[in-house]
Amino acid sequence: MVKRILSSVAVFAAALAFVGLVASYAMSKSKEPAPFSATSAGTVATSQGQMKHVTLALNTYPDSGVPANFNSDHTDHADWVSYGPSTRLEVPAHSLVTITITNYDSGEVLNNSFFKDVIGVEGTATLNGKPFTSVPPDHVGHTFTLRPAPINHNSELFVSVPLLAVAEDAIPAEGYTDTPNVITFSFIVGEAGEYIWNCEYPCGDGSYAKFGNAMSAERWMSGTLSVV
Amino acid sequence: MSTKERKLGSVGEFIRRPYVRHIFIIWIFVTIAIGLFAPVQSSLMGNSASLEMDVVKETMTIFTFWSAPVAGLVISVALYSLFGWRSQGETAPTEDGSPMRSNSKVVVGWLVGSSILCVMLLVWGLAAMSESHNGSDPAKIHTVNVVGNQWVWNFDYKDDGNFSTPVLYLPIDEPVMFNISSVDVIHSFWIVEMGVKMDANPHETTHMRVTPTELGIFNIRCAELCGLNHSAMFTKVHVVSKSDYKVWVDSMKGSAQ
Repeated sequence: MVKRILSSVAVFAAALAFVGLVASYAMSKSKEPAPFSATSAGTVATSQGQMKHVTLALNTYPDSGVPANFNSDHTDHADWVSYGPSTRLEVPAHSLVTITITNYDSGEVLNNSFFKDVIGVEGTATLNGKPFTSVPPDHVGHTFTLRPAPINHNSELFVSVPLLAVAEDAIPAEGYTDTPNVITFSFIVGEAGEYIWNCEYPCGDGSYAKFGNAMSAERWMSGTLSVV
Repeated sequence: MSTKERKLGSVGEFIRRPYVRHIFIIWIFVTIAIGLFAPVQSSLMGNSASLEMDVVKETMTIFTFWSAPVAGLVISVALYSLFGWRSQGETAPTEDGSPMRSNSKVVVGWLVGSSILCVMLLVWGLAAMSESHNGSDPAKIHTVNVVGNQWVWNFDYKDDGNFSTPVLYLPIDEPVMFNISSVDVIHSFWIVEMGVKMDANPHETTHMRVTPTELGIFNIRCAELCGLNHSAMFTKVHVVSKSDYKVWVDSMKGSAQ
């Protein structure tokens, strides 16, 4: 009986060690992009009083391999659409975050027109310098949609901003358009915590409502925002 | 037939056998224990925040109670087999035990008893479902279209002002009909405290009614593995007073214009 119990324990321990080895190997192979910290822009008056003001400049390209400073960690799927220069964002707690996204990509129809609207921003979002609250649902390039990570489930921060698609005839056969759409918006972050963002325009491949490839992998069309 | 095989004989002979009396005593204790556990089990399901969750918890209690005799018999026979019929010697026995043949009276009794219990559960279940789907004036039911996206929920208030939000607000003590769908893959709309758990399917709308009975903020989760950010597919439901709900609806209508 004792021998049987010892054998069972030994087999269980060996299985556990095997799973641990596989997990640690997978973790060592996973690439986490370098954090992209917001730039301080002094203080600013907000609806919640005077706050720190920080800025982030992002861009979206139809692929992720060409510009030298753009997502240099993307060596495996250079043809996938991507946000850049990083998808791992860091901002300070209790601050107004202003994000400017330059969109070089075209687009089509959203799966859900809910994401055509600007939601959850502080003040007014601008598109190419002009205020806007929504874009046509059949002309969306990407979206920046932010909400809490599971570890931060008490927060109710929700921000979603559509990025107007670049017209097809403005995209050259090679290289990138000279007239990208520039979208700027702000939102307020409170206590330190983790947030997740991703694109809600179906810009991936595959049969899962075009949410495959770049849409179903970290570091391309989804990322994290750490409030530190 | 082997000489060691034997029939169970009459019911009287059957119940006079020592092991039958032992199993019967174990069965009594196990059945009572499961019956006593029935209300504990529903209390482990957490607080109820809707009429529907009350029905779910009551159903769990009743189903556990009524299934106690059957579960008790299975467990008591298993326990007696494990300890009462175990070989006591140092080595394994050289011969197998006596095979048992069926007894028609026992089989009929078992089938009839089980069937009666199943019919009782069926009737209870149908009545509970009917209770959660009827009883209110349809004109007074709020309608909310719940849409699952990879990996965000959004809620369309078509009747109360025609606007959409990423957070759900409901008035207390008023019935709400959820029309649940998905624009991409299968999700599952889950509010634990309200007893709401319904698949959100692409190209299909499912329906579920709920009447919130507790003020507060509750979690909404996706209960169907749906891709990269499935774990982040959650939001909140705010159950507010009727006056606060009206204020919220007016503010949303104002911002939607």
